[in-house]
Amino acid sequence: MVTAKKHVPIVKKRTKRFERHQSDRFKCVDPSWRKPKGIDNRVRRRFKGQAAMPKIGYGSNKKTRHLMPSGHKAFLVHNVGDVNILLMHNNVYAAEIAHDVSARKRIEIIARAKQLGVKVTNGKARITTES
Amino acid sequence: MASNISQDLIWEVTRGYNAMMVKRKQAGGVQFSRDPLNLRNVHSRKQAGFVNDKAIGIQPGEKGGVKFMTKKAGKANKPASSLQTTTLGSSTSTRKTYRSIVNSTAKHNYRPDLRADAVARASAIRKTQKPVKPDPPSKPRGARARKATESESS
Amino acid sequence: MTTRPTVSILSPDGSASGNSHPLPEVFKAPIRPDIVQAVHTGMAKNRRQPYAVSEKAGHQTSAESWGTGRAVARIPRVSGGGTHRAGQAAFGNQCRSGRMFAPTKVWRKWHQKLNLNQKRFATASALAASSNAALLMARGHRVSTVPEVPLVVSSTAFAGAAITKTSAAVALLKAVGAGPDVDKVKKSRKTRAGKGKMRGRRHKQRRGPLVVYSPAEDGKELVRAFRNLPGVETCDVYALNLLQLAPGGHLGRFVVWTSAAFAALDTVYGSATEASALKKDFLLPSPLVRQPDLAKLINSSEVQSVLRPVKGGAITKRPMVQKKNPLRNRQILLRLNPYAGQYSKDKLGQQKKDEKEKIRATDEIMDLMHTN
Repeated sequence: MVTAKKHVPIVKKRTKRFERHQSDRFKCVDPSWRKPKGIDNRVRRRFKGQAAMPKIGYGSNKKTRHLMPSGHKAFLVHNVGDVNILLMHNNVYAAEIAHDVSARKRIEIIARAKQLGVKVTNGKARITTES
Repeated sequence: MASNISQDLIWEVTRGYNAMMVKRKQAGGVQFSRDPLNLRNVHSRKQAGFVNDKAIGIQPGEKGGVKFMTKKAGKANKPASSLQTTTLGSSTSTRKTYRSIVNSTAKHNYRPDLRADAVARASAIRKTQKPVKPDPPSKPRGARARKATESESS
Repeated sequence: MTTRPTVSILSPDGSASGNSHPLPEVFKAPIRPDIVQAVHTGMAKNRRQPYAVSEKAGHQTSAESWGTGRAVARIPRVSGGGTHRAGQAAFGNQCRSGRMFAPTKVWRKWHQKLNLNQKRFATASALAASSNAALLMARGHRVSTVPEVPLVVSSTAFAGAAITKTSAAVALLKAVGAGPDVDKVKKSRKTRAGKGKMRGRRHKQRRGPLVVYSPAEDGKELVRAFRNLPGVETCDVYALNLLQLAPGGHLGRFVVWTSAAFAALDTVYGSATEASALKKDFLLPSPLVRQPDLAKLINSSEVQSVLRPVKGGAITKRPMVQKKNPLRNRQILLRLNPYAGQYSKDKLGQQKKDEKEKIRATDEIMDLMHTN
């Protein structure tokens, strides 16, 4: 497996999720982010002590955007042919086997990835058994 | 090719979608290509082998080594005879492989812009044909490591 | 781009027959994916059958609103008693067993009117695109074994109802190099995802070659021969169909021409200057841009002669570049200090001190110094 290309350190400006205002108070309010639109809304008006709202400034450095901690970017593969595409990109992209691939095909994909030096992010899934 | 069609036009028609293209929403919308005449598998005007009159393709050979293809200029509309294929077997040393690829292309002013890509791809393919090393046994860490040392000492 | 005036004609066994035919003028029509797509979306709508939900659906109850004052919504409610249905909301699209929102009607506008000239333009454009191998490959046709595009097979292959059996049709397609494309279709058949399965669209499969023939010379027996081959379609050259020439609105269908059909193209479409013999008031469209090759345009003497010379000559100072440390980067050092090259070549920096001539103070000077 080839290690990822050297890159500037990955800095996440915020690692906590942005939770929807008042989702902590009501079960029916889902925590997925919705921008508050109310005329008096204190979160929308950015009062002190209120929850932070997402904005463009939280974006990651372009050089480290979409990078996994290993320094690779993920690329979803369904079959061996998809892995072959990554031949010239094994220090940038890592293969991620799609969820609907059977254990038998996974073994073929992982074997080919190993030849190509491509990292597989979920290479242990469905392959290893509990014993 | 008829006078109303050019490489630039073909690219503009096919750049949005084509049969070789692989699009993913991951990593900011990455686009690759399955074209055998694409050295880096990247969807781009320069690398698109089916668009360009001259293109280089390097694929793993059936019996090891690399299969090296070039497109014959002026034979764009004769698909069956448009490819020049050379097989550089596994017994050819890698350096000789690179040299023969470069000698027959870049040195003859055939896509000199693809020289580095062609050599890199041939090298990558040759590397994949080596026997795969088994993974080193993973070192136990954390609680498992402590348990291992305890069982050893006792 | 060299113009190809002729296309060679293949004999039925796949070898070159030695005959050739001049390239019909249609193939010089401009390639316009925008027009083809627009016409295709319109034409694809013209074979639809009307459908609608029942006019009565959701309205077969005598519901009436209770009005205000009952602390329930003012939606119509089913009257009567003695059953659970009584008092339940009805009619509304939000109601259980109510009618749908904006019930579909059979008098929806199912068909599209398309301008005749546009349709002809689109067909000519799709034909022109079918003569380019790169566009065929981009559409997904397996044409790497095809000797030439456009692929013209001598009409002698079909003469006297020679091809009436599917086995003969397969043999012909294989001989002319269209075999891989037929095999691709055969392998591609998959069950459709979704509800189309229960609506008469059980399977999905690719499209293979389109065989275009001329019924007068080739006869119509070949239609039945090709009929059972998955993905292979046949078409009369006098009734070419955009839905077959550009399936899905995507340019570049793989077309197998009989030589009679190929020869008929010029009478069907005429040229950009001569009106078509069969289509009233039709001249082939001519391209807006005569030279589609950008590299040729840019390198033409007309463009090059009016360009201003590159500023700054061969070495231009690039703005916004990272400053390099000359002590670490040797090339930068050499640029700043040309003597550095000679200095390191002579290894002046590595000479030891004692090798150099040491200037020792003479005794005289020492004496002088000590007297004071």
